[in-house]
Amino acid sequence: MPLWFIRGLRRGVVTTRYPATPDGSAAALPTPPAFRPGELTRDVTDRIVAVCPSAALARHGDVLIFDAGNCTACGRCAAAAPDAVTSSGEWELAATARSALRKEIPILGERS
Amino acid sequence: MNGDEAAARQLREQVADQFGRSLHIRTLDTGSCAVCEQEIRLLSAPHYDLNRLGFFFTPAPRHADLLLVTGPMVRAFDGAVRKTYEAMPGPKVVVATGACALGGVYPKDPFMHGNVGEVLPVDVWIPGCPPSPLALLQGLSVAVGRLAERTPGLTFAAGGEA
Repeated sequence: MPLWFIRGLRRGVVTTRYPATPDGSAAALPTPPAFRPGELTRDVTDRIVAVCPSAALARHGDVLIFDAGNCTACGRCAAAAPDAVTSSGEWELAATARSALRKEIPILGERS
Repeated sequence: MNGDEAAARQLREQVADQFGRSLHIRTLDTGSCAVCEQEIRLLSAPHYDLNRLGFFFTPAPRHADLLLVTGPMVRAFDGAVRKTYEAMPGPKVVVATGACALGGVYPKDPFMHGNVGEVLPVDVWIPGCPPSPLALLQGLSVAVGRLAERTPGLTFAAGGEA
């Protein structure tokens, strides 16, 4: 009798857990951006807001509003401001509230 | 509002109880570009093997526990969306999948609602364009209460401040 069957009987589980081991392909996924508040100025923020094709970025005063739900992880903001924007590496982003995906990032860079 | 939250919590507990082991998924394409569908199909492939987690795709909404909605909710699909949702037995879960369904790509206009939340009571939102099969797996696990969501704890602010 196959061992997995005996193991399954002993543990009493019919399914395996979500991910039993870290998934190797996760590192290659395109992921939403992460921002460096210290490098963000109003000018830089306006530049990345202008290149965002899916309205995921907005600036309200000295706060950058990033809506991860709208983000398509295209990487245009990271290309426009490589110092201030990097890849977050986050892909486990499921949310039970839409508002949980809207993040406020302070703009701490010096005024220009 | 409090009644809504209590009802939502009760539904979540009920779902976790009843859907803990086996859950049937009906996919609903409301005008997506089909890349989300491609990722959803990949869930059945051996690498991800959705069935090992007790999830199954079903062609009939009457057999479905979970509605996996993709696309920006084109208004031409209003009737089909309503019929599909009404045909599902309760308790039912609605999962909005992809940036279109979350309102990121298309605005609300005479042709589309632009956001699944405009039409259906969405329980879980899965961002991504498209969400990878891994992200879908995590979203489905969150939907049935097997995993806690991580999103509220994320800031999207990187270190290295000057």
